[in-house]
Amino acid sequence: MGNIMSTSFAPECTELKHKYDSCFNSWYSEKFLKGKGLHNECEDFWQDYKKCIEVHMKKQGIEHLLDDARKEAPFENGGTPKGKPTQLSAKDSKAR
Amino acid sequence: MVLYMKNKHTFQHDFETVTLAYFNRYPNPYSKHVKSIDTVEKYIDLEGKLHQTKLIRKCGHLPNWVRPFLGTISSSWIVEKTVVDPISRTMQTYNCNLDYTKLLTVEESTFYKYDFEKGVTHSTATVSFRSRFKRFGALNLKDKIEDWSKTRFTEHSQGSRMGLKIVMERVRQKMADRLKQSQEQLKQVQQVRQCNA
Repeated sequence: MGNIMSTSFAPECTELKHKYDSCFNSWYSEKFLKGKGLHNECEDFWQDYKKCIEVHMKKQGIEHLLDDARKEAPFENGGTPKGKPTQLSAKDSKAR
Repeated sequence: MVLYMKNKHTFQHDFETVTLAYFNRYPNPYSKHVKSIDTVEKYIDLEGKLHQTKLIRKCGHLPNWVRPFLGTISSSWIVEKTVVDPISRTMQTYNCNLDYTKLLTVEESTFYKYDFEKGVTHSTATVSFRSRFKRFGALNLKDKIEDWSKTRFTEHSQGSRMGLKIVMERVRQKMADRLKQSQEQLKQVQQVRQCNA
């Protein structure tokens, strides 16, 4: 948050990413969580950022990652990993 | 064999702080191996839940004994899916690697739930470690890889949590600053009104 922000996989998209992320953070806190609007007002930033990612994924030959990422549907089984836990090591911790 | 791990934790922060910190957790002093994170998909479903998909690029080194089979791997891609329910104040997260899945698939699912009474956020994580490697002569690589990755993951999870806590503190500070700022603005407006009256 603030001045410390993560970078995009493509340096060319980092600035657009920061603009979108800043907008998203404010929208998320001030609107979305307060139930004040489902409309995401960061749409313009999002479109610019998304376009940049798509162009550079293609340039780097990794556009298949987008499909791989989208087709993952982990929440269909309630979000728990497939299969049954056979070996558990539960560890409870509390800290500030 | 597939290995599993379960972990529970309570964060002494509200839901807004925890989720915002999660979305903005990189960079932090414990995330030097994380090279980039990009949002590639986002939408709000019919129930009003926010869905996001992100791609994360991480660098890391494999143990020496796996190199003869795979060579040196310098980076890998992770997919992250999150769903936030603003009404019940819950968030479901899922992280999984996209490449080298024959060697190893690490799936992490975490459920965050705000405790309205205590004002804290509980998290429950389940992680699975699955290798599709076959037995190689006398060497049971599959079990060895799963064991190794579970150990590494356990070693790293404390760092991840510390990193997240640092970002939570950052978020909390920012929210406090914003509140102070708006209070001062309100004060100024009131003073101007008094002057004009």
